[in-house]
Amino acid sequence: MTLPCGIRNYTYAEDMAIVRTGTHWVLLIGFLILLFTAPLYFNNYWLGVFNLIGITLIAAVGLNILVGYCGQLSIGHAGFIAVGAYTSAILTNRLEMPFLVGLIGAGLLSGLVGLLFGLPSVRVKGFYLAITTIAAQFIIIWVINHWGLTGGGNLITAPYPSIFGLEFRAESSQFYLIIGIAVLGVFFAKNLTRTKVGRAFIAIRDNDLAAEVMGVNLLYYKLLAFFIGCFFAGIAGALYAHWLGSLNAEQFSFTESILYVGMIIIGGLGTNIGPIFGVVFIRVLQQVLTIQLVPFLEKSVTVLPSGFATGITPMLFGLVIVLFLILEPRGLAHRWSLFKASYRLWPFSY
Amino acid sequence: MAEFLQFVITGISVGMVYALIALGFALVWKSSSVANLALGQIVLLSSWFTYSMLVQAELPQYIAFPLVVVFALFLGWVIERFALRPLIAQPILSLITVTLGLGYFIEGVITFIWPWSVDALPQIFPRQVVHIGPAVVSWEYIWVVGICLTIFVLLTLFFRYHRMGIAMRATADDQMAVQACGIPVTRVFSTSWMFACVVAAIGGILISSIGGITHGLIETGLKSFSVVILGGLDSFSGAVVAGPIIGLAESLGGGYLTEHLWAGVKDIIPFVIIIIVMVIKPYGLFGEERIERI
Repeated sequence: MTLPCGIRNYTYAEDMAIVRTGTHWVLLIGFLILLFTAPLYFNNYWLGVFNLIGITLIAAVGLNILVGYCGQLSIGHAGFIAVGAYTSAILTNRLEMPFLVGLIGAGLLSGLVGLLFGLPSVRVKGFYLAITTIAAQFIIIWVINHWGLTGGGNLITAPYPSIFGLEFRAESSQFYLIIGIAVLGVFFAKNLTRTKVGRAFIAIRDNDLAAEVMGVNLLYYKLLAFFIGCFFAGIAGALYAHWLGSLNAEQFSFTESILYVGMIIIGGLGTNIGPIFGVVFIRVLQQVLTIQLVPFLEKSVTVLPSGFATGITPMLFGLVIVLFLILEPRGLAHRWSLFKASYRLWPFSY
Repeated sequence: MAEFLQFVITGISVGMVYALIALGFALVWKSSSVANLALGQIVLLSSWFTYSMLVQAELPQYIAFPLVVVFALFLGWVIERFALRPLIAQPILSLITVTLGLGYFIEGVITFIWPWSVDALPQIFPRQVVHIGPAVVSWEYIWVVGICLTIFVLLTLFFRYHRMGIAMRATADDQMAVQACGIPVTRVFSTSWMFACVVAAIGGILISSIGGITHGLIETGLKSFSVVILGGLDSFSGAVVAGPIIGLAESLGGGYLTEHLWAGVKDIIPFVIIIIVMVIKPYGLFGEERIERI
């Protein structure tokens, strides 16, 4: 870690601190205040977008731990999110459990399913693992679509979340719940990657054989990465279920899984700030495209082909993913650190 | 018994098409170790292109099919040149994700141009039936098996005797050594992509002439990965053997398990096979088990 000029660490506590300087504190607290007072300045529509961003962020942070830090490519993340969503919906709706039980249960069950499909990761990697997770995605969605408990292809409803009698009904109150958990999740991930576990993950990503020779227990850490990544997915899924109110397996399609991988790549793999950039970028782009741009174009240009509205989104997203991989493989996080460096050094170049 | 034979024959012929598509995958994987996850979308795109040529442009078949081949060659060249070439020597993660992004992009293009999403190809093969023992089989299936076998033989001969085929095998073996010998590796890469797209396009025409053009073809492309996995990633003969196995498992399982399980069990069998193979024998039946060194 490079320190700004003139800053020195005198104690270990200072050396390990996440927030280092007074300016950091001011910026962080200012950002948090701004974030948590957002319901005051934004209308319900934008709060809904923020809620979606928060939910996606939780899942993406989990995927980033799995793919970005541990190097285990998973293209079935939407499937694991679906497991969480349906678990929580069934626990709270059919079995009438409290919301917190549903939330934790969703995380745990998703994590366990992740463990199950992560088992091959002990023997295979790269493309083989990618294919396994794709298979997981299709098997999970098939089971959800046909099992009677999960609605058998019909819509299934989930009640509004409530914790100890406090009900999160309005978009703005859900905003506090979702963003609160998202902030906690990001903080957890940030800390996790600085611990022994995180370092083991990075060692496995960089070279798993070398890591094993150095004494990293591959079985344990790879499965742990799958568990943590899918636990996050489960939590995100539960929040999604209770935020939306009704579930349909269509919402967790394979393309959604691809989009999740795209998000963490656009943000920057293996960085803590990356998922935030990626998720905000993709979700805001999605909103702008589908809500603002397409209706505008359809109104002003009359000769558009009829597939324009549905085709433009996947086309543009695919293009964005490919272009990012070719032109900026380190993602927006790299741009951000370049920006920070140039800001600090301005007006000098180094 | 008649039912069983019916399932076996449909299974084998559909499996042959899977094997053909899987061959398109193995071609690229062998020469450049790029996992092409956009295969299903390429299959779908070339099926729609065939539809456009045959139905929308009303071209006769002897003009339309060469045009489809030319289109597939062009598609393969474009993909390799503009998406994969800049990523040479990048980590496998980027190589896999770039094909995912490509697939997403192609899917968008397909919705853009052919928004009605379901259609049927005009009749290509005769629809009469033949009686094989107690089973009744449409000529289509026999044609499909015949065409697949012909392409396998042609490809095998190409790889054994043609200059480019030998260069491709050499590239698969050792890229550095090949480059040192003066073989243009980049040209080998783009040739393998062009071949892969042509093979996938033929597979697409065959399978959509039986089952129509739907978005399910993307899943067909993904299912053909189970063929690659079962046969072994870098083995052509593996793909040819595993294709009919997968096809058989799919049609027999779909025929006999549906009553006991839920509907649509047919579509999930290849994915279950993937998981089983992964746990038991990850490198497949004929795949080369690579020993890794640090």
